[in-house]
Amino acid sequence: MIDRLSFLTGEALTALRRNYTMTFAAIITAAVSLFLIGGLGYVYMRTTEYARSLTGRFEMRVILKDGTTPAQISDTANTIRLIEGVKEVFWIPKEKAWARDKSKFPDLTEGVENPYPDAFKVTLTDVHGGELIATKIHSLPAVASGDEGVQYLKDVQRFVDDGLHTLRWVGGAVGGLLFVAAGLLIYNAIRLTVLARRLEIRVMQLVGASRFTIRVPFLIEGIVQGALGGLVAGGLLLLANNAFAAFLVSRSAFASLPPFPFWQLTSILCACGALYGFLCSNLAVHTPLKFR
Amino acid sequence: MTGITAPYIEYKDVCVEYPGHVKGIRGISLQIAKGEFAFFVGKTGAGKSTLIKLLTREVEQTSGTIQLNGRDIGHLKDRDIPGLRREMGIVPQDFALLPRKRVWENVAYAMRAVGHSRKEVRRRVPEILEQVNIAHRADAFPNQLSGGEQQRVAIARALINNPPLLIADEPTGNLDPEHSWEIMELLMALNLRGTTVLVASHDMMVIHRMGKRIVTLEMGRVLSDVVSETPHD
Repeated sequence: MIDRLSFLTGEALTALRRNYTMTFAAIITAAVSLFLIGGLGYVYMRTTEYARSLTGRFEMRVILKDGTTPAQISDTANTIRLIEGVKEVFWIPKEKAWARDKSKFPDLTEGVENPYPDAFKVTLTDVHGGELIATKIHSLPAVASGDEGVQYLKDVQRFVDDGLHTLRWVGGAVGGLLFVAAGLLIYNAIRLTVLARRLEIRVMQLVGASRFTIRVPFLIEGIVQGALGGLVAGGLLLLANNAFAAFLVSRSAFASLPPFPFWQLTSILCACGALYGFLCSNLAVHTPLKFR
Repeated sequence: MTGITAPYIEYKDVCVEYPGHVKGIRGISLQIAKGEFAFFVGKTGAGKSTLIKLLTREVEQTSGTIQLNGRDIGHLKDRDIPGLRREMGIVPQDFALLPRKRVWENVAYAMRAVGHSRKEVRRRVPEILEQVNIAHRADAFPNQLSGGEQQRVAIARALINNPPLLIADEPTGNLDPEHSWEIMELLMALNLRGTTVLVASHDMMVIHRMGKRIVTLEMGRVLSDVVSETPHD
């Protein structure tokens, strides 16, 4: 078994060496496409995590109309709690808010009448759908009309949401295009290898080597090209991450990135690259290796 | 052909039509006995190579049947072709030697490709090279060999599976008369050990000198099927 494997692997390595220019091109293209797909995927994942972590900070201030009765306040709070995407609802009585300000700024508040209305603090489970939630709350009868009725960081929410959306599309389109290009290059590299090794293939066919024996070296070649592409992509991502971390530190001494999961990410990229290389090489050897 | 009781190879009404309605073989019926030595002769395009390629399944017949040792090989599935080829030794017209490999490596490579272990290769390669009298050139590269020596290496490679059938397509096509005769003597020696030998050739001078069965083809048909009157000297 090991003896057989060493022959097949040896054949694949010979092919990789002999056709090194095309092999190099295939590995680099696979690496760039995996770098983009993997990199954008990683950034997307991190941004989503960050956005989730901001959920507590993504809160709404709901201002109630003057003269709202305790029963209406209670009903309104219960109705808001039932809206999808709402995590918690806290009532902030105007007396409590004013008392807090008076204790903080006694000189400024001296002799001034309480300007605060009754309000709710509403926290969200997700940054998406902030606008929809605001609209639903706004339509409740006890909520003050106008822009001040529901106050929240609408622009920030929209920015994060749009950012994630753009990342998804850019990553999918650019990465996808490069992925197809990498596939074509791997396919082409294998085809060239088949051409360069047609004499060996003919000899194998003449003496009765099995289809498996003839095909496997080419499949190994494709797998190696894809996996090496994944490895290079992992390295590029590490470099990009370190460069970005250095940039952040240069801007703010307190800024930092979470630890980069190099081995985890590189393993995934290598596995994806190897699988893709296998599929492309399988496609490339399908027709030219028929027994004729 | 008289004296053939149990055909080892049998072509029955075989026709081969290439794309574009080009007829390669037009209804040939032929029997070859085990241990026989037969030549397929004829001009270029007569069908002698096609007749050989039908046995190696490089070509599939349009109609008729081809049997090898009682087994219909005309409609084998692709996956069964390697098994068929391991039952025969094939010597192609252009030798098909790997230029970057030495003589012994050419034979060893073929053995490794069909699944022989390293140990077996080390044991068998010198024997095979000895069998075809090329052991003294084992470390040479193909471009350092004469045409006759290259042909011997191609024959050595064809013997790696100990085949009961050896098929050679124009084995003397690129050789001078002296080397041609050496190759024929080698094939004769293998035949004397029991190997059935089929040779496609147009080298009439050497063929007649061999005193073996000659199947003459013309335009895809058998023109004559005789044993040469001039015995091998």
